[in-house]
Amino acid sequence: MSVFVILYYTLLLGASCLAAYYKKRSAFLLLFSLTLVSFILGIIGGVAALRIVAISAGLLGLSAMVSYAFREFLIMIAPRNMAKELRTAPLTAAFGMFVIFTVAIAGIFAPFIAPFGEAEVISSAFAPADENMLLGADQLGRDMFSRLVFGARNTVALALAGTVLAFTLGALAGLLAATSGGWFDQVIARTSDVIMSIPSLIFALLMLSIFGGELANDTTSFWLLTGFAMVTGLLVVSAVSERSVMGWVIGLAVLAGVSAVFAGAMLILFNPSEIILILVVAVIYSPRVFRLTRAVAGNVVVMDYIEAAKLRGERTWYLIRREILPNSTAPLVAEFGLEFCFVFLLIAGLSFLGLGIQPPTADWGSMVRENATLISFGDITPLIPAAAIALLTVAVNFVVDWMLYRSSGLKV
Amino acid sequence: MTKKKDVLLKIRNLKIQGYSNESWIDIIKGVDLTLHRGEVMGLIGESGAGKSTIGAACMGYARDGTRIVDSVIEFDGMELTTATEAERRALRGSRIAYVAQSAAASFNPAHKIIDQHTEAPLQYRLKKRLEAQEDAMMLYERLRLPNPKEIGFRYPHQVSGGQLQRAMTAMAMSCRPDLIIFDEPTTALDVTTQIEVLAAIRDIVDQFNTAAIYITHDLAVVAQMADTIKVLLKGEEVEEATTREMLEHPKEDYTKSLWAVRSFESPQRHRPKDGVPLISVRNVDAAYTGGAKVLDDVSFDIYEGMTVAVVGESGSGKSTTARVITGLLPPSKGEVLFKGKPFPADYRDRTKDQLRQCQMIYQMADTALNPKVRISEIIGRPAAFYSGLKGVALKNRVDELLDLIELEPALYYNRYPPELSGGQKQRIGIARALAANPTFIVCDEVTSALDQLVAEGILRLLDRLQNEMNLAYMFITHDLATVRSIADEVVVMQHGKVIEQGPKDEMFQPPHHPYTDLLLSSVPEMDPDWLTTLLEERGIDNVGDAASARIATDDPRVSGTGA
Repeated sequence: MSVFVILYYTLLLGASCLAAYYKKRSAFLLLFSLTLVSFILGIIGGVAALRIVAISAGLLGLSAMVSYAFREFLIMIAPRNMAKELRTAPLTAAFGMFVIFTVAIAGIFAPFIAPFGEAEVISSAFAPADENMLLGADQLGRDMFSRLVFGARNTVALALAGTVLAFTLGALAGLLAATSGGWFDQVIARTSDVIMSIPSLIFALLMLSIFGGELANDTTSFWLLTGFAMVTGLLVVSAVSERSVMGWVIGLAVLAGVSAVFAGAMLILFNPSEIILILVVAVIYSPRVFRLTRAVAGNVVVMDYIEAAKLRGERTWYLIRREILPNSTAPLVAEFGLEFCFVFLLIAGLSFLGLGIQPPTADWGSMVRENATLISFGDITPLIPAAAIALLTVAVNFVVDWMLYRSSGLKV
Repeated sequence: MTKKKDVLLKIRNLKIQGYSNESWIDIIKGVDLTLHRGEVMGLIGESGAGKSTIGAACMGYARDGTRIVDSVIEFDGMELTTATEAERRALRGSRIAYVAQSAAASFNPAHKIIDQHTEAPLQYRLKKRLEAQEDAMMLYERLRLPNPKEIGFRYPHQVSGGQLQRAMTAMAMSCRPDLIIFDEPTTALDVTTQIEVLAAIRDIVDQFNTAAIYITHDLAVVAQMADTIKVLLKGEEVEEATTREMLEHPKEDYTKSLWAVRSFESPQRHRPKDGVPLISVRNVDAAYTGGAKVLDDVSFDIYEGMTVAVVGESGSGKSTTARVITGLLPPSKGEVLFKGKPFPADYRDRTKDQLRQCQMIYQMADTALNPKVRISEIIGRPAAFYSGLKGVALKNRVDELLDLIELEPALYYNRYPPELSGGQKQRIGIARALAANPTFIVCDEVTSALDQLVAEGILRLLDRLQNEMNLAYMFITHDLATVRSIADEVVVMQHGKVIEQGPKDEMFQPPHHPYTDLLLSSVPEMDPDWLTTLLEERGIDNVGDAASARIATDDPRVSGTGA
């Protein structure tokens, strides 16, 4: 009997007795059943099993404390209205926000946080962790931790860019289809049906193998980006100008300029093959966003205040911007979180297949694949980037759950 | 009415709290209630008085986000606040039943009416399915539903609103409960249909000696139904007395003010001798895409500064006429003239100035105001849109409009619609219409969703604005009391046709068109014997739908249509 075991049981029993004494029913049930399970676990698994239980409980407690503290922190620094909303957040949502916050910091300040470069070989292949390398080395001897930090930047930035583009296109088309209806609605809806009818992974593989090789150069991606921006912009221009010819002329001129600037800016941020990936993701995911937006906006469009605005002679763009959008943000924001997860997983999956982000750029998905051989030697190194993917996805979902719960209007 | 009977429901010191802004706030502040077997109690008060909350509490039920605190609710000797959820659930449906305000929204559209009817008796194993169905048909017959043997096998959408409401009452009766809670069962119905439902409810409650709590904000209705009346205000009891006593000698000031509501009457204006009507609807036919004709040869004129009330039951084409005038629904035949010149049929073809002339105020202020936009923008937008006001000038204009509708500008400028009460929202809706500087406003059932006191405030406001700004109103309503108080001219519509029209003073004098007659006589009056007398006069089978179907087309009075 080690000191640990004695301490372990004393703590559990003491806590269960206290819970029973103060009539905390669920706490007592939880603690005491844990005690009973521990008796059996202790006999079968010995001290090691108990240690694992203690460590998991400790981790759980720690993350709960971190979440609680982080929520209080957010409440303090947020403005009054935001703080009121934040106070309704459950601990899971606070935990999610904390993880997102950490990943964001890691991604933004990657070069300052990571001790080594993402492509820098510093030791032998699969070297174990030492004081130099927090998580050991990968299959080429690069620092795992540094690559993880840079991976946060690359994978998340790509997923974010893809989701934002998908959302801009899908949401605009959805809002416009709901407001104008008629043939426009039909054309867009059927187009999105066609895209949705192709399995997304296969569609992505197809597109990437078409645009992946020779075509992944600056010129092609510039024109593709400009084309995408033009299509999105056309929706805006049509809503703003409606039936005025002058409006169309000016709108199109402005649009051409904005599209070119946008394409240029994207080319500075990402390399051509990444841009292709982003566009493919945007095209695959925009129909889903379109569907949701159209349904949500469809419920708003029938309201009397929309009729009042129409009778006033307002343009479609005003209707969308001031009347419909504010009333559909809640489900859209929640959907944004969900889609982000899917896009993130798709990119990680494509990278795992070797089609996504190209080496030597660090990326969580390809890191799993590259280190996969190590798993047969009982090492957990390949599981670390996999865990990072899982953690971020779960975290985003926690936050989204909270938002969905709020927007569904359930009380207490 | 003071027969000594067993106490069925005893509520003492009922307190219900609601959770808002992170704290529990009292909604009901200690109400006592005693109900005997076979007694009908009317609960009246304006919205937010806690009528429905008390109704739900009688079943030991607190809605989501509310809780019942240290109260005593004793139903037939059983304490509901300490009973387990399972015990309470066993009471609901079998011994306490509930009839909701909107039967159309409360029936499950996916099941046949009779299946929903027999659900409770089958669940409680009181009857076999066939027995329950036979019983349902018997109840349908008693409630004078047409085709009692067959109507239950229809789906809710195949049955009219009034019939559905009666079917719901029958459903509440299915287990022969001791207590039924009626939550505004006739508020959503037309006057002509309302009578049928009222007669049916009163009849069946009498026959089975069921106790009932009748929740409503319509005094005249409660006067017909209840033995005792309890007046509520903001979660507190104002007074309670038997119906007759309450009607004849109300004690509290608040009750007296409720009684006095229907006294407002605006002096009648008359058409100018020679002048061009502001809006002139000429021989308009209209239909929704692919549907049957909704309007059939509708013509009437509206002169500047006058109020034309358009009355009729739902489906008579009142709102469609408004949609034709505003341009939302281009007519298939005929035209709308504005000051003698044709108005483009589609609102998209109208100029900004034409759009400005003609504004609308909606029935449901909840859906007519964007909940995510501040009051300042809701009112400011039309002002900025039509007259291009900006900055300080715009703010001054909004302040001026808020003053006009008697709301303190500083208090409401930055608020959002959900933070306002129903009456205040309706005022904002009026301000939005005024912001455009119109000459003509369509008021689509503007007061029917409001309590009587608030509605009267709105009517007085509209009347004052009309005098100040020389506005013309087209006032769509099914409430004849409203017509009496505000209209100058009346247009009666039925089945998409104008049946009768003329100045108000003539319209309220006989002889009427039989349909007008039916409408007029169906308006409940404050006299507790009104329903009884009416039923005796007309016969039990000659009210509501039945009566309107029976109007003979060859009646000499029918041919005298038109003003």
